[in-house]
Amino acid sequence: MSFLNKFGIGPAAGATREAPRAMGSGRPRSNAPAPIAAVGAARAPEPGESTRVSNGLKEFLWNLDGLGRGTLLDLGPAWQTTLSFFIERGFRVSSEDLLRAWKEFLAEEDEKLREASGKAAQHTLDVAPAARAARFLEANLQYPNSSFDAVLLWDLLDYLEPMVAKQLVANLTELLRPGGVVFALFHSKKPEGFQRYRVVDPTTLQVIASPVLCPAQRVYQNREIQDLFSRYRTVKSFVGRDQLRESLFIK
Amino acid sequence: MWKKEDVKSQPIRENASGISSSSPAPASTPVREPGAAHSVSSTSSASISQGIRIKGEVTGSEDLFVDGHVEGKVNLSSGSLTVGPNGDVKADIFAREVVVRGRVDGKIVGREKIHLSSTGNVAGDLQTERLTIEDGAVLRGRVEIETGKPIDKRTEVRGAAAGTSKGGAVSVGAGSAAD
Repeated sequence: MSFLNKFGIGPAAGATREAPRAMGSGRPRSNAPAPIAAVGAARAPEPGESTRVSNGLKEFLWNLDGLGRGTLLDLGPAWQTTLSFFIERGFRVSSEDLLRAWKEFLAEEDEKLREASGKAAQHTLDVAPAARAARFLEANLQYPNSSFDAVLLWDLLDYLEPMVAKQLVANLTELLRPGGVVFALFHSKKPEGFQRYRVVDPTTLQVIASPVLCPAQRVYQNREIQDLFSRYRTVKSFVGRDQLRESLFIK
Repeated sequence: MWKKEDVKSQPIRENASGISSSSPAPASTPVREPGAAHSVSSTSSASISQGIRIKGEVTGSEDLFVDGHVEGKVNLSSGSLTVGPNGDVKADIFAREVVVRGRVDGKIVGREKIHLSSTGNVAGDLQTERLTIEDGAVLRGRVEIETGKPIDKRTEVRGAAAGTSKGGAVSVGAGSAAD
């Protein structure tokens, strides 16, 4: 691995490097997705899509290597390629697009507030951040404790209200088994657009420009990230040239 | 109660845009569009059109297109189920093949295949041999791919015990919906 690649700024699309310990079968790496049951036809990147070398993903997979039939929670959109990638490697995958749920939750809250405005004071909604976070997480992310070996958090935290982000991380910690891994992305500066991510291969993420679901809430500094994940024993970060920091948290 | 006449009186054709529309075509001569994107469509032999609500259990062995509202349980042992763009199914679904273009709230067992269209929205676990997900589909649930294995045999056994399994007396064509 070159020095540049270590920091995620090496050659991106079309890279031919072999992941040192690619999870699972140990087959030669190919750019085309392997033909498995859950895979549809391979699709070429469309305008607005780009790829980036992801050392964070590589490290994430390295940590899950040898797990066997693990459980993974993907908090991004249900992409065929991402789900197939992990299912092929024996994972039981749960998918929950938490940012979409957050957007819907906010819309519902607005509606409730409008309804409550005409009622007596005791019927008004508690809009304090902590109360809102509690309400949101009561309706989402409902799994038994220690359900998952891995979580794909993507850049979700940048878009959630800080109180929700804090409570979400606390909840995820409960959902993870000891030794479980969280893969998260953080923008080093406020993102101009909105993008989502999917796994192409063990070292590559596809970045897809998408319509804005929620505006970015804040840019987390190193110290704040460490505080958020203070209950995790290991933190690793890879900073890319695209102002995206990939972080790995091991419980 | 869901009657045979109710279902067959409103066969639905699928236009080029994938939006369903009523058709006067007789039920005895269902029209199947060659080259359609998916084998299961609104041209299936039975359909629950937009505006129709069914609460209870729907069982059978033929293909079914749902563009209305179904709440309860859907069990098509050897048939295929398509939930149309206006379909809203709050039920556990057991079928050979399931295509979701609308909304499903419940577990889906598609023995051979599950397809989530870009307009599909599923809140529930998926269990199948083959899964395809178009960009834009929304899924909230667990995915289990079990290639080459029978899917949830217990379900079929239970269905047979209730007299609603494949080959049973009650078919989708005949229509059955129990409250």
